[in-house]
Amino acid sequence: MFRSVPFAAGDEQRGSHAFPSNHPADVRTADLELAARCRAGDADAFEELYRLHARRLYSLAVRMIGSADEAEDVLQEVFLQAHRKLAGFRGESTLGTWLYRLTMNHCLDHLRGRQAKISRATASLDEDGAAEPVAPAPVVPSAISRMDLERAIELLPAGSKAAFLLHDVEGFEHREIAEILGISEGTSKSQVHKARMKLRVLLSR
Amino acid sequence: MSCERYDDLIDDYVDGTRAADRPGDARLAAFESHLAGCARCQALVADFTSIREAASALDEHVPPTRLWAQIAGALEEKPRAFSVWIPLAVAASLALVLAGSAWLALRQSPTGDAAQQVTATPDETSVPPAEAQYEQAIAGLQQLADERNAVLDPATRAVLQRNLAAIDRAIDESRAALADEPSSAVAQDSLLDALDTKVALLQDTVALAAEDVNQ
Repeated sequence: MFRSVPFAAGDEQRGSHAFPSNHPADVRTADLELAARCRAGDADAFEELYRLHARRLYSLAVRMIGSADEAEDVLQEVFLQAHRKLAGFRGESTLGTWLYRLTMNHCLDHLRGRQAKISRATASLDEDGAAEPVAPAPVVPSAISRMDLERAIELLPAGSKAAFLLHDVEGFEHREIAEILGISEGTSKSQVHKARMKLRVLLSR
Repeated sequence: MSCERYDDLIDDYVDGTRAADRPGDARLAAFESHLAGCARCQALVADFTSIREAASALDEHVPPTRLWAQIAGALEEKPRAFSVWIPLAVAASLALVLAGSAWLALRQSPTGDAAQQVTATPDETSVPPAEAQYEQAIAGLQQLADERNAVLDPATRAVLQRNLAAIDRAIDESRAALADEPSSAVAQDSLLDALDTKVALLQDTVALAAEDVNQ
């Protein structure tokens, strides 16, 4: 039977033990043990998996999709798929990376479903970005408001938004982003650069 | 002066890479010399740094507590992984519906699963890793099931055998479809779903046999 357990304070912090940049051997051992417990039918183990990762994945989904309600639906699909596919998890990547990959794939699928709307937003951004001269003097306020940044991120095209969120918000390295998104490290760097350039334009207005 | 050639290094610099840490990197050293006298690059570094710092300080969004309740509820409706005992009728229906759905999805879905499209790397000369993992799991479970299912009553064994045969047909059909279209994400997903169903049914067989032994 599943229990309802609230998130413990400090369960998840950026750069914490659950992710591959830190203590990879410990993380992988813990991941394999947790995955094995889940596969063996230990309901508490799957709840532990959820509590370890849900906040960060939910934050990512909210920012990727731009809607808390839709992110909730996406995250539910992610964890149901994770439960279904845990039988195939063998620890080649960490559970965190694996779950980020599932989440990103679901978010990108979701965004493709809203293609017309997104296309309009990205088309106008692309044109603006291409025409914008690079200003010699700093144009972004040194203290950027959280709301302004959240709104600007929402307007990024899906590809550069995904790379930017993983790199600058979640703190992943480019090699990890490449694994999560199924792209090369060079493409990850290029997408983060494009995102920063567009944000620079958006935040200077 | 054209300094776009250093754009890739601007991001590295903002992310903390310094020439002092890379003694052999002449290009990075040249960029740092260039940066000292270039207002354009200095402006980019300042702006990117502000953006990076603000992004890393963004608050986390906290999922509503109802989300776990919804997930747990949905999982409890799927009894196979979290229940030792599954009534055979339910197991049979589940297995057949899943196998049938996988095949119908393969036949009817006009678009691929984008999630798989992003990560799938079809290789016609070798077994894909996910499929290999399933086959490894199935081989182990099949051996356990073969060793233990003698304790089950004949009627139960017959139902399980019929279900396994149905799933094996679905696997064969998915493999045939994948052979015709190796890059089809839908075919790939259907095959993995069918393999997943077989793993679940074998797990149930082993669990049922264990229960009968303990009774």
